[in-house]
Amino acid sequence: MSTSPAPLPIRLLAQWRTFAPSWMILAGLAVMPLLLSSPNFIRLLFVTLLWITTSVAWNLLGGFAGQISFGFAVFYGIGAYTTALSMNAGVNPFIAFLVSAITAAAASLLVGLPTFRLRGPYFAIATIGISEAVRVVMTNLSFTGGASGYRIVEHRAFRQLDHYYTALVLASIAVAFSVFISRTRFGLGLNAIRQDEDAAAGLGVNPYAYKLGAHALAAALTGMVGGVFSRYAAFIHPQGVFGFQTSVHILLMPVIGGIATIWGPVLGGVVFGIVEEQIIASFPEIHLFIYGSMLILIILVEPGGILGAFRKLLRRIHGRR
Amino acid sequence: MSNISESSILLSVQNLEVSYGPVQVLWGVTLSVRKGHVVSIIGSNGAGKSTTLNAILGVRKVGRGQIVFKQEDIVRQPPHERVKRHMTLVPEGRQLWPKMTVEDNLLMGAFPSTLRKDAVPNLSRVYDIFPRLKERRSQLAGTLSGGEQQMCAIGRGLMAEPELLMLDEPSLGLAPKIVDEIFEFVRNISREGVTILMVAQNVNYALRISQYAYLMETGKITLDGPSEKLLADDYVQEAYLGST
Repeated sequence: MSTSPAPLPIRLLAQWRTFAPSWMILAGLAVMPLLLSSPNFIRLLFVTLLWITTSVAWNLLGGFAGQISFGFAVFYGIGAYTTALSMNAGVNPFIAFLVSAITAAAASLLVGLPTFRLRGPYFAIATIGISEAVRVVMTNLSFTGGASGYRIVEHRAFRQLDHYYTALVLASIAVAFSVFISRTRFGLGLNAIRQDEDAAAGLGVNPYAYKLGAHALAAALTGMVGGVFSRYAAFIHPQGVFGFQTSVHILLMPVIGGIATIWGPVLGGVVFGIVEEQIIASFPEIHLFIYGSMLILIILVEPGGILGAFRKLLRRIHGRR
Repeated sequence: MSNISESSILLSVQNLEVSYGPVQVLWGVTLSVRKGHVVSIIGSNGAGKSTTLNAILGVRKVGRGQIVFKQEDIVRQPPHERVKRHMTLVPEGRQLWPKMTVEDNLLMGAFPSTLRKDAVPNLSRVYDIFPRLKERRSQLAGTLSGGEQQMCAIGRGLMAEPELLMLDEPSLGLAPKIVDEIFEFVRNISREGVTILMVAQNVNYALRISQYAYLMETGKITLDGPSEKLLADDYVQEAYLGST
């Protein structure tokens, strides 16, 4: 891979065949709402695209670098509140999303500096602690309305397609990042850290800096999703955006889809966005139970996630091994 | 040691103390490595040999002491800075990334940006030394045999253009025939001008290919001298080479 002398953009272009299916999916998603203009369907696609983005973002740190974080609600919530506060102060929503990305990335440094001294489960536990602490603080912060939530007032007409295309662009950016990183030296370093952090350090990777970098990228993307969501919802509250459930959802999608791959987290997002929505609609009382059982099943049967199972199936069809 | 001129010493370690939590394992280790030499540290299990190498590379924190590499005290530098100064460790048990290809494992050895521009010529140099790795370049490292994995680990170390190559138990867990082969490689690499500091429980081999050796026991250097002297030493003979 890195022996190839051609600059990366040219190499990516040369591999257009590999990416042809992705371009087709993207084109499909771009035209879809024009053909099927049911608002509820567009809303479902919109939400799914947002979940896909957080799932892909989480995978940069949790998948590629192997650092399992239960604290992504912090960035989601900070992004949501940053956009909300900025928009109410009269800032253009798209600039507000960028501000959200920056604040979330800054927050990720504050979280990462102490916690990346810990490894494995200890890191995971620390992120739970921080996430809960932030939620409690936000619940009691008076200028954002505390536990009763915060309303976003947008002085222009609501156009659902604006929101939809924003989410589509964001999800594409996230996937592009994921593809790009997996093909660079940065991605190779993250992969080395996941497989053996000590060996990586011994060969000149700075694990601390690499983890902080992946964390910041993931947080920026997650923060933007929080912002886009808050603009759409027009009302946010700490139990929702900072809730532990949000962290868990963000973590479960890549696990379901297939961790440390490009398309696994995307698949996980689709399953979560669409399937979970349908389960909620059909079994409102026991939807979490159904979801939990699905998860246990996946982890027991196929730790590689849906993508892993699919690859196994393909291999069996082709009669290899 | 005082008769050796300063400039010919590549690495000098002074009064190194290392603890694992409350348990101190190195009690003031002092050793030095001359440019171009093969130096070995021998001793039994748990004597602190691997800890010494890890401390020199910086993956193990040092409590007290000095590590001078190329006339510069590096004891406070993080490992990735030390790698940039051209020292590298082939760790015990090899620590390859089993799910990366052989070639990616090797390229990881040239990870710091300063080494990266020469990664391609260095790769072909490693393939010249270990033709077997070239045949298996696109195979996952986890699927190699033990001997090939050791070659891959040494090759990965060479990718950092080391002036000091540290080898931790290069013969561990390998068949006797492969052990011969690996030590032959070590000798060839040394002939190319790479200075080698090697830890080995295989005392016989270690003393035969090194010029100077240190005997380490319970965290201290208890004996040092030219390797042929240690090989002839009664105590070493009795305790480590099993002759009576």
